[in-house]
Amino acid sequence: MSLNPHTNNARTTLLGVLIVYALTVAINLGEFWPFSIYPMFSQAGNPWSRAIVREVQPEDSLSWNALPLADVPGQPYGVRSGGVDPIDLANFVSKTAIWNQDRVAALSLMLLADPPKEPLRLMVYRVQARLTEQDSIAMTAMPYVVVGTDLPPDTKHLNPELRP
Amino acid sequence: MIPRSRQWHFFDSLWHHLFGFERPDSRGQRIFRRLFEAFIAGASVWLAWYWGRYTLRISDIVLELGFARYIDISFMHGNALPIWNAWAITGLIILGFLRIDRWIPLGRWAYMAAMLLLMLQYAARFVLGEIPHSSNLVGMGLMGFALAELQFKDRVAGGRFAIGFSYFFIGLGYTSAAASKLIARGFAWADGRHLWMWINEKAVDEVARSGSVELNWVQQLALDHWWIATAFLAFGLITEALAWLVWYRGTRYVAMWAVFGLHMGIWVTMDILFALSVYEILLLGLPWAAIIDRLWPEKGLAAN
Repeated sequence: MSLNPHTNNARTTLLGVLIVYALTVAINLGEFWPFSIYPMFSQAGNPWSRAIVREVQPEDSLSWNALPLADVPGQPYGVRSGGVDPIDLANFVSKTAIWNQDRVAALSLMLLADPPKEPLRLMVYRVQARLTEQDSIAMTAMPYVVVGTDLPPDTKHLNPELRP
Repeated sequence: MIPRSRQWHFFDSLWHHLFGFERPDSRGQRIFRRLFEAFIAGASVWLAWYWGRYTLRISDIVLELGFARYIDISFMHGNALPIWNAWAITGLIILGFLRIDRWIPLGRWAYMAAMLLLMLQYAARFVLGEIPHSSNLVGMGLMGFALAELQFKDRVAGGRFAIGFSYFFIGLGYTSAAASKLIARGFAWADGRHLWMWINEKAVDEVARSGSVELNWVQQLALDHWWIATAFLAFGLITEALAWLVWYRGTRYVAMWAVFGLHMGIWVTMDILFALSVYEILLLGLPWAAIIDRLWPEKGLAAN
């Protein structure tokens, strides 16, 4: 079978892209958009971590202790109202290793760049879940940080366990 | 010694199924090529603006992806560069779509330049820890048209290459996703309890997004019956593992619709809709060229 000349060209181009694809994902932990090995959802059953936000009032007494998700105090606050993607928030909270001044300021900017109302004070919780031996899912929420339109970003508003 | 034609029959057949350069052209194919190109061009422009506007609220880097692993991407933060970049991408894509090379030297590089700037836009936007995959199909589609412009003088062949390129990487992408799951967890990946974890995870995301959540009846059914949750995951895993069948004409549309079903399943059980990917799958999941040829035949050419 003799190949159409365009087929030769297409084959060479496609194989070239495949080589670049393989090399870039190999040296970039599987991700170099638009190249990917698509590992999402591969780690099935692992504990996960997300984040939620509650609106709090200045006069509220704040506790920094972890508690069951169902018992989290404060008024539920949807980050969509401020134009924020909740996945960004969850990753920002879970992947931040060192909570310094810049990181608190960045979180404050993310949540309050376009506030639906002012003044607004928000408590950010990290929610962690795991599958128990009884086949139920245990979810706990840990208060992380308070940010507010009337509150300059500062590490003193962090959970004491996270302060640098 | 086995003749070369036998040795290479498998691959020759694959190229034929993916690109079909030897097939006669038709009105339906011409319309569909431009329609698909218009979709990829429009989706790329949409991504450029969507990412660009969001990047304006970013001031710190949690995780570097793509170009950001090699350059300090912070120069894109705290200023209007993401917006200027979105304008540049928009302009280049319009120039590429209008075949500007008829008037401007290097015009055939317009799509590739747009591709590189879109990769920069992605690297500036996704520095907060999220590693999204909702835009990969569109990104590969744009790369297909960019390479078609540079590698094929003949635009009919170039359009066919770009479409075959998308089919190839759709098949490869979903199949590699199945491989990732099987390598990580084996067949136990499909254990319904894993879906319970994801349903709860996405419910928390919805609480974060809107302040409240109400599970739909499909999610409730999966949470109430382990075997139903397991069946959902098993269908998804099998569909992904067989996604390479989109490479072949005989199985292409069945496999594409199975992938569409997979996305619908992900939508109803986990409330995740990769909208651009779904639109692209719908565009590539039906023989639109043949449908157009049937409805609007071209004189002198048999419907393809």
